[in-house]
Amino acid sequence: MKCQSKHYGAGRGDILLGLFGVFLLYLLYTSGFFTAAAWQDFNRRFYQNFVKDARYMMLVDGLKSTIFMTAGATIIGVIVGLILSVIRVAYKGGVPIPVLNKFAETYITVLRGTPAMVQLLIWNFTIFASARDLNTQYIAILAFGLNSGAYVAEIFRGGIESIDAGQMEAARSLGLTYGSSMKHVILPQALRNVVPMLFNEFIALLKETSIAGYIGIDDLTRAGQNIQALTLEHSQPLVMVAIIYLVIVLLLTRFVRKLEEWLSRGRR
Amino acid sequence: MSDYIIDVKDLHKTFTLQDGRELNVLNGISTGIHKGEKIAVIGPSGSGKSTFLRCLNRMEEPTSGVITFKGEDITSPKCDINVVRRHMGMVFQHFYLFPHLTVRKNLTLAPVDLKLMTQEEADTRALELLTRVGLADKIDEWPDRLSGGQKQRVAIARAMAMNPDVLLFDEPTSALDPEMIGEVLDVMKELADDGMTMYLVTHEMGFAHQVADRVLFIDKGIISEEGTPDEVFDHPKQPRTIEFLSKVLRR
Repeated sequence: MKCQSKHYGAGRGDILLGLFGVFLLYLLYTSGFFTAAAWQDFNRRFYQNFVKDARYMMLVDGLKSTIFMTAGATIIGVIVGLILSVIRVAYKGGVPIPVLNKFAETYITVLRGTPAMVQLLIWNFTIFASARDLNTQYIAILAFGLNSGAYVAEIFRGGIESIDAGQMEAARSLGLTYGSSMKHVILPQALRNVVPMLFNEFIALLKETSIAGYIGIDDLTRAGQNIQALTLEHSQPLVMVAIIYLVIVLLLTRFVRKLEEWLSRGRR
Repeated sequence: MSDYIIDVKDLHKTFTLQDGRELNVLNGISTGIHKGEKIAVIGPSGSGKSTFLRCLNRMEEPTSGVITFKGEDITSPKCDINVVRRHMGMVFQHFYLFPHLTVRKNLTLAPVDLKLMTQEEADTRALELLTRVGLADKIDEWPDRLSGGQKQRVAIARAMAMNPDVLLFDEPTSALDPEMIGEVLDVMKELADDGMTMYLVTHEMGFAHQVADRVLFIDKGIISEEGTPDEVFDHPKQPRTIEFLSKVLRR
């Protein structure tokens, strides 16, 4: 989107940020942060938290779990969202599927109207309460995926409705069926339009999986807490976790920019 | 049994507006078109001429009336309108090329998806048609890189790629800059000379006069006058026709 492809110069925001940074450094300096003793302490704690007993592996495994859940939920979310949005658009466009449409509407209302956290707990402790052999990660993927599907459905719907009605007419006038016209003409254009919004949804999803710890999954966030429990150290593990999330988000942002460029080929 | 390729009997179309009021756009149109015939449909804006055209391939659902295409009642629920539309090409005012597909793909999508041609056959046909409309060099171009006139010529070629029996033109030059109208009309003239059956809703009176075999003047949802271009343009009888022509021809 526009805001992402803009090249920032040194604006007023940067100057304020710089002043804030200087202020922080001053605070740290006055509290003795830059003394040799402080650095030794920092290094000792770093060793305790991440190096000793290969504790960094806890973060690596947690990250694997986070990425696994996000990827799985993304796939479910896109498929569910696509189906729901096509149902709603097709019904509005005159395809006689009132029951499916009502289902889609209700689904979207309920899953968007309740916290993802509550949904996750219900999936784990109510619906799959008796399925204790099932890997909890799969339950989380299902919960996050179905939840994300409701949001993706609305994103897709907006994307489909943003396509000029004439595109559908032109496709139908050639004898293409409603389904073929959707698949070959409307959806490819809609998808191109919604890539940035979809991507934001997946970034949100990546961050949202941080509540998976509540059903006992050792994801990245929970791994940080697990280290905390071992070392009784508060700041370093969680700050490290935050940095890892941020790096991934920034990498993904970079990727989507490339994707957008590729998608907009042929456009003026 | 008439020998019309499209036969329209007592066609009505009523739109229900958002506030519940009903708008009668077509109030009983009966007409037809012979194979190879070119019919120009003229009339003031809001007269229903575009709606009439859009009912022929059921882009709009007729409220009542019967439309027969090559002997088949296409308003019957049993009719597969998708099959009918393969034989009735449509050209729109705003072209509606598929912007995410190259010119080639715009022309080959439907024949290939409907399994009427292989991709190779469709490619050959696409090149042939693009050569005919003078755009063979644009075959791998994206629609957004074409001028308005070029887009409309591609749109005509796209409709022709299905080898239709009839072409429906819905104000094909109304969205074009004046200097691009000529190139599109030239292509249409060539199609007409090749014997294409054409319905043409237009404001280009000169072109209609030159190309049409018959002219329909539609006003308030009915055909209020029809005849040869000579009769309608040069010797109109109805006061509404005279008034309309005096307005559009005064330029």
